[in-house]
Amino acid sequence: MTRRIIRELPLNRVEGDLEIRIELEGRRIVDAWSSGTLYRGFENLMIGRGPLDGLVITPRICGICSTTHLMAAARALDRIAGVPPPANAVRVRNLALMVETCQSDLRQSILMFMPDFAIPAYAPHPLHAEAAARYAPVQGGRCIEAVRETRSLLEIIAILGGQWPHSSFMVPGGVTYVPNLAELNQCLGILRRFRSWYERTVLGCTLERWQAIRSVDELEAWLAERAEHRDGDVGFLLRFAGAAGLAGQGRGHGHFLSCGSLDVPAGSAVQGVDGMLVAAGFLAADGERRTFDQSQIAEHVAASWYADGGAPRHPFDGETRPQATGADGRKYSWSKAPRYAGLPAETGPLAERLVAGDPLFADCLRVRGADLVGRQLARLTRPATVLAAMETWLRELVENLAQPFYETVPPLREGRGIGLIEAARGALGHWVEIDDGRISRYQIVTPTAWNGSPRDDAGVRGPWEEALVGLDVADIDHPFEAGHVVRSFDPCLVCTVHVVGADANPFRC
Amino acid sequence: MNAPENRPRPLSLLWLQCGGCGGDSMSLLNAASPEPHELFAQLGAELLWHPSLSNGSPAEHDALLESIVAGERALDLLLVEGAIVHGPEHTGMFDTRRGRPKKDLAAALARQAGHVVAVGTCAAFGGIAAEGALQGSGLQFTGKRPGGLLGAEFRGRAGLPVINLAGCPVHEQVITGTLLALAAGQAPLLDEFNRPLDWFGMTVHQGCTRNEYHEYRVEETDFAERGCLFFFKGCHGPLTDGPCNKVLWNGRSSKPRAGVPCFGCTDPTFPQPHPFFVTRDIEGIPISLPKGVSRAHYMVYKGMAAAAAPDRLKQRQTTI
Repeated sequence: MTRRIIRELPLNRVEGDLEIRIELEGRRIVDAWSSGTLYRGFENLMIGRGPLDGLVITPRICGICSTTHLMAAARALDRIAGVPPPANAVRVRNLALMVETCQSDLRQSILMFMPDFAIPAYAPHPLHAEAAARYAPVQGGRCIEAVRETRSLLEIIAILGGQWPHSSFMVPGGVTYVPNLAELNQCLGILRRFRSWYERTVLGCTLERWQAIRSVDELEAWLAERAEHRDGDVGFLLRFAGAAGLAGQGRGHGHFLSCGSLDVPAGSAVQGVDGMLVAAGFLAADGERRTFDQSQIAEHVAASWYADGGAPRHPFDGETRPQATGADGRKYSWSKAPRYAGLPAETGPLAERLVAGDPLFADCLRVRGADLVGRQLARLTRPATVLAAMETWLRELVENLAQPFYETVPPLREGRGIGLIEAARGALGHWVEIDDGRISRYQIVTPTAWNGSPRDDAGVRGPWEEALVGLDVADIDHPFEAGHVVRSFDPCLVCTVHVVGADANPFRC
Repeated sequence: MNAPENRPRPLSLLWLQCGGCGGDSMSLLNAASPEPHELFAQLGAELLWHPSLSNGSPAEHDALLESIVAGERALDLLLVEGAIVHGPEHTGMFDTRRGRPKKDLAAALARQAGHVVAVGTCAAFGGIAAEGALQGSGLQFTGKRPGGLLGAEFRGRAGLPVINLAGCPVHEQVITGTLLALAAGQAPLLDEFNRPLDWFGMTVHQGCTRNEYHEYRVEETDFAERGCLFFFKGCHGPLTDGPCNKVLWNGRSSKPRAGVPCFGCTDPTFPQPHPFFVTRDIEGIPISLPKGVSRAHYMVYKGMAAAAAPDRLKQRQTTI
């Protein structure tokens, strides 16, 4: 029998700290464990605070997706207030969330994922020199452009909400600011500049041309069609990944979750599905498509150091009571393991596209499975699916400027509310309970809790643990291929609020 | 102090991430003039490591940290983001690297560094992590109390205490401006909490576009109105040190301009324990008054100011 070897890998260029443990047989990964190494404790900080304090505290969970946490928190409070925000407030909130998502998708792709193609281990790759010129940290040409253009795009959030990151301009009842016409026109100018750059530099074609691609064959034809297509970041990803043999690598369980996102406001010209721009649903590995129902979410703790070792709990019944003592052999992480109807689920832009039935990504799934290339392709091209709606909503704000941006809500004394949205990294939920005018429960299930979860009560791996199994690495002492797999999920460890990493012997199995 | 630029080699800069959200790194990416890649060129600095940007292997990162800690490789500028995590039970094991507490790594690196810079309120004072099980501190303060991880007497090798770039997050101009000053051998003037006076010698209130409403005590009682946020909505602008309404965020605006109260995020005591979005008051006058103001005089002044308010403000005609 081949000797089994263990390697522990701290991973950088993820948001926060992550350490992966892999077990190799020869050069093949045969098992994997994932652990964040930073405990944040946000949920417990919320208990006893003022009813609106989630709007200030939870954005500070995450520097790259603070507006996203703000939106989830505000939506939970909307439910408790019982006052639906007016259409203009929905438009402002959606715009801000989409700006932040485009920013995150491009920074993750160009500053965090692609720089792996510039490492010395790829020196023999025919595109290595080009990768280094484009994606070398800080100084690479595409990195400089991505930083500049995402910075410019974020000005829209500052105009509408004061600053990025870490503002609190979404409140129950709507938003805190009524922009004037000049400010909306500035936003339109910023958005058009961004779209122009995105088409020219990232896609290498118009949004319309990109959206016409409906299969893997058509994708290959598009790539061969013009030099501009090959020169864009999308084209480079496909060319490099193809030559490096990355297609088909890093497939998970094949279950996909989207909780749906971006309410289409009444009277809007934007077309949605069931009132949302981003469809909700659960797609199982056997192809069964189910309606999303948040009551099917439960968090397992069998592999997690928690005081409560009982049955899996829905977030409204969940507790966050870390208990490091007396860990039995199965426990190796302080992350809980969220499951949907008992199943692990991958979430994020690829899951969104598959749940929505996008023809290109459905064909990718048929041809080579939900691999790391598809995951990254879905992220890098997500802006192509939202930029047109962003412009429509900005125009509708101009047309409806005299309509309200806020409706007065009564003081929040009691109630429960859920705020579910699709963050850049996938399904995000805030479950909030207010009692006697104070927060009495706050549970957050983040996309990285889904994607980076440890094993559940049945011993089933989390999605990126599963995606690592079967991966062949060239050098067991520097298995950078494992980094591609995990980074393709866009890990955000700072968001994994009830993750604690590990003590000195975290993985003693 | 020693001017680091007199050395023949380029300056070296290392960014260490501790217990935080990465928001200060995101703030650095907001930098427009200079842009981040221009900043490093203007500093004449080699970025040895940034956790979100560098693409060295784990083994290279290990070797780099070891050589700095051993004193074999010079470190001119150490930037720390995020709180120093001491929990649980003062072990630091809630924030580890390779199974060892980050706080020990931060202390070992600080001992070798020319300058130590706390980037953001968490690294400066503990911030959000100061509460609860994390037992967070800043590098040289815990809240307003000197000490923190390194102790009140700590000085970097160039002779300065930890420079506290407060804010949640800190504004990008505060980061870039401080680094450029240090690289030029300049010692920034600091306030009692070691925050550079160039940015923290003024209040957030200065420059707010709601200032006329404040002057005449025309108050916002609900969101999305025209009025001052100080009297009812919990704005800390008049008692918080910071340049938000001078340098503006993302070159565009600020929270108070956009109807969001200042939460006092540059203050060593941020976040406050009492509810946000509410001003605690006594008979309609806030408990916490603008910085340095006496209550008796303030009450008289505000009564007269309200009586003098022009109709255009009382009718909320003046735009924000």
